[in-house]
Amino acid sequence: MIWQIDLMVLTLIVFCAFSAVMVKDLLSAAIIFGAYSFLMCLLWTEMGAVDVAFTEAAVGAGVSTIFMIAAIFRTSRSVKHRSRGRRFYKLIGFFAAAVTGMVLLYGQSDFPGWADPNSPASSHLSPYFITHTISDTAVPNIVTSVLADYRGFDTMFETAVIFTAGIAVIFVLRQYRRDQTDVAGTDEVAYQSPIIQTVSRQMVPFIQLFALYVVAHGHHSPGGGFQGGVILGASFILVGLSYDLRSVLKKMGEGPNIIFGNLGVFLYAGIGAVCILLGANFLDYSVLSRILPATDSVMARSHGILGVEIGVAIAVMAIMIAIYVNISSHGKYDKGL
Amino acid sequence: MISPEQYPVLIVVIPLLSAFIINVIGWFRKGFSYPLIVLSLIITFYLSVSTLLQVVDGGAISYRLGGWPPPFGIEYVIDHLNALVLVVISFVSLAAAVFSKESVKKELPDRIPQYYTLFILLVTGLLGMTITGDAFNLYVLIEIAALTSYALIAFGRDRALVSSFNYVIMGTVGASFYLLGVGHLYIMTGSLNMGDLLSILPAISGSRAIFVAFLLIIVGIWTKMAFFPLHGWLPNAYTYAPTATGVLVAPLMTKVSVYIMIRLMFSVFSADYVFNTLNVHDIIVWMAVAAIIGGSLLALTQTDFRRMLTYLIVAEVGYMVGGVWLANSAGITGAILHILNDALMTLCLFLVAGIIYHKTRGHHLDDIRGLYRKMPFTMAAFTVGALSMIGVPPTVGFFSKWYLILGAIDAGQWGFMAALIISSLINAVLFFKVIEVGYFEPMHGHHDDGHHEVTIDEAPFSMLAPLYVIAVSLIVVGIYTSSIITNIIAHAVPKGL
Repeated sequence: MIWQIDLMVLTLIVFCAFSAVMVKDLLSAAIIFGAYSFLMCLLWTEMGAVDVAFTEAAVGAGVSTIFMIAAIFRTSRSVKHRSRGRRFYKLIGFFAAAVTGMVLLYGQSDFPGWADPNSPASSHLSPYFITHTISDTAVPNIVTSVLADYRGFDTMFETAVIFTAGIAVIFVLRQYRRDQTDVAGTDEVAYQSPIIQTVSRQMVPFIQLFALYVVAHGHHSPGGGFQGGVILGASFILVGLSYDLRSVLKKMGEGPNIIFGNLGVFLYAGIGAVCILLGANFLDYSVLSRILPATDSVMARSHGILGVEIGVAIAVMAIMIAIYVNISSHGKYDKGL
Repeated sequence: MISPEQYPVLIVVIPLLSAFIINVIGWFRKGFSYPLIVLSLIITFYLSVSTLLQVVDGGAISYRLGGWPPPFGIEYVIDHLNALVLVVISFVSLAAAVFSKESVKKELPDRIPQYYTLFILLVTGLLGMTITGDAFNLYVLIEIAALTSYALIAFGRDRALVSSFNYVIMGTVGASFYLLGVGHLYIMTGSLNMGDLLSILPAISGSRAIFVAFLLIIVGIWTKMAFFPLHGWLPNAYTYAPTATGVLVAPLMTKVSVYIMIRLMFSVFSADYVFNTLNVHDIIVWMAVAAIIGGSLLALTQTDFRRMLTYLIVAEVGYMVGGVWLANSAGITGAILHILNDALMTLCLFLVAGIIYHKTRGHHLDDIRGLYRKMPFTMAAFTVGALSMIGVPPTVGFFSKWYLILGAIDAGQWGFMAALIISSLINAVLFFKVIEVGYFEPMHGHHDDGHHEVTIDEAPFSMLAPLYVIAVSLIVVGIYTSSIITNIIAHAVPKGL
């Protein structure tokens, strides 16, 4: 760690956080949030948490900024003021934030030093994971083995959280009855730039290939299902942004997309359930060696991890597309932004 | 084929898997959603009852997910306390699901499969929060339960979207506080497993960071359970929610949060740390007094039946938080018993409110006029629920209040005792007002806005059946209270209090 870089990045992060709250234009706030996420991503990288940085870059700086921008396009760009009582609420908010900040500072005084090798977080469980990951799971990337095996149950529910978010967005936004007045409004043709369209079209296959690499290579390098799924979803969103939503829906219709979303999480939970049927505990992949040819119980864990990562990638991809489609078209599945 | 050892994880996995099945099959055939959800909740209920029986026979069960030993992997720990709460959750959600058939068809005809997917994911989240023995796994399932309830509330009537948005903000703040607290614990101990934390924490109990962790976690959970004065989001969210959502969420969310508070206090921080090292229980009992009095008084000012019930929930949260922080075994017994009892009472009253809304399209007190004549069965069950809420002896409400008052006397907390008695009196006033309106005041045109006169008759069977099961259980559970306490709750109270 280099403290000068840390100091610079942290200062910029605080600056971004304040300006995102203060700025009146919501579109600027969304962009500042993107910058904020990107700085966080730098910070994670600098701390050695490359997997987290990857996720932050794909989800925080990438897709969630697009979701926010789409939501702003569909609602309103400026903050509407309600003068009465506003100052009072601001005061309460400021007070609560100040008290929380002071409490947090009070607690920090007891923390172990930054990157202290004797701190409990580095000395209690981590040595076990570092020494046993190869002999237990044959996966060199410890983050992947902790994420998808030792604590694989958490990851299954994290995927379920993404799934829940997608279903929630569909539930709230999807409009099933067509409103005649709105249909007329969507017929106007938005300006489409041939340069952007051509470049995007060239990029999509490479983005998707990279996404598959990220999923498949998660065992050995930073990456895995979440990041790969987000990148796959982002390639569809790019088509939606540069062309229109109908071109996305032509490639990935509403029905198949929902089925993909379900299938992904079902694959994860299903692999767990197969372990029960084979007589072991839920998600105990080692027992999969009985049905996978030429696999011992360690390699079975490695393959099990790959299986659930693929499930995560499918689910995350489908849900990212579903959220984007619903937000950008107001649940109408028309031309979009 | 599947051995009973696997039941703990199946309690959570069966509803999770059926969420996907409901979603996909519902995409093709909407009508299958309802039977599927009822079927999977029946299986879940069976599994949780047989797990409870296993625990009563053989003591606490530990289940290793992925086969990894704790603290390296995630562990499920089922003891008397959460086995009981699991049964409550699966029973209440089964009743709510059976009830939901007609109301979902009427209120959300386009979105039935998505609604039931979110419904069963919410049940999954609540069950997973209850069963887990891992502090971070708890957070992940809090997220699932929270996200689903935001969405389920958002599609209600009137100001549902705004109330749901308020709930999103408050709920996210609460969850973030909890996550920050768990982060502090991890920095100081390097562990996330509750049993492991319990064994490490006494050595560093003087640490400031541990105190901050406790503060963050407890405030976060109080926000989630709408403990006065953090209750602002609850009344609107629960009033405007779709009927079936209210029936599921109102009895369960706050009660599960109370369970989480008890679990973290005694299974992570230990009773010794919470009551002796910190020594803040007097203040918190007075906060509970404020919650009880505040909630009851606000309920008294309401003219909308369902809104009145939501303020009573705020008061009941005060009962349970106060009971736990009385720091003696009678108080904690009363609080745990009240988790069971209040879930049943609230469910009973929200079922009645749901039926009234289904038939009259409103739940204002005016809508209740003359209903005793039109809907005698519904209103009879309502009377049982109301008597239980007041605390009349054969019903469950009496017994938990009795233990809470015993605990208050033991601890010398006269303010808390007075608050319990005042709140019972206010409940009596409230419910007799409702009964008077329903029994004596003549019925007159409901929402006669010139379009059509709504004819009001008795509710359909799918609504009455769960209501009657609950109303009867209010009395049956009351009669068997002593055996529930000796067999289950007595083991859940921490030793040495």
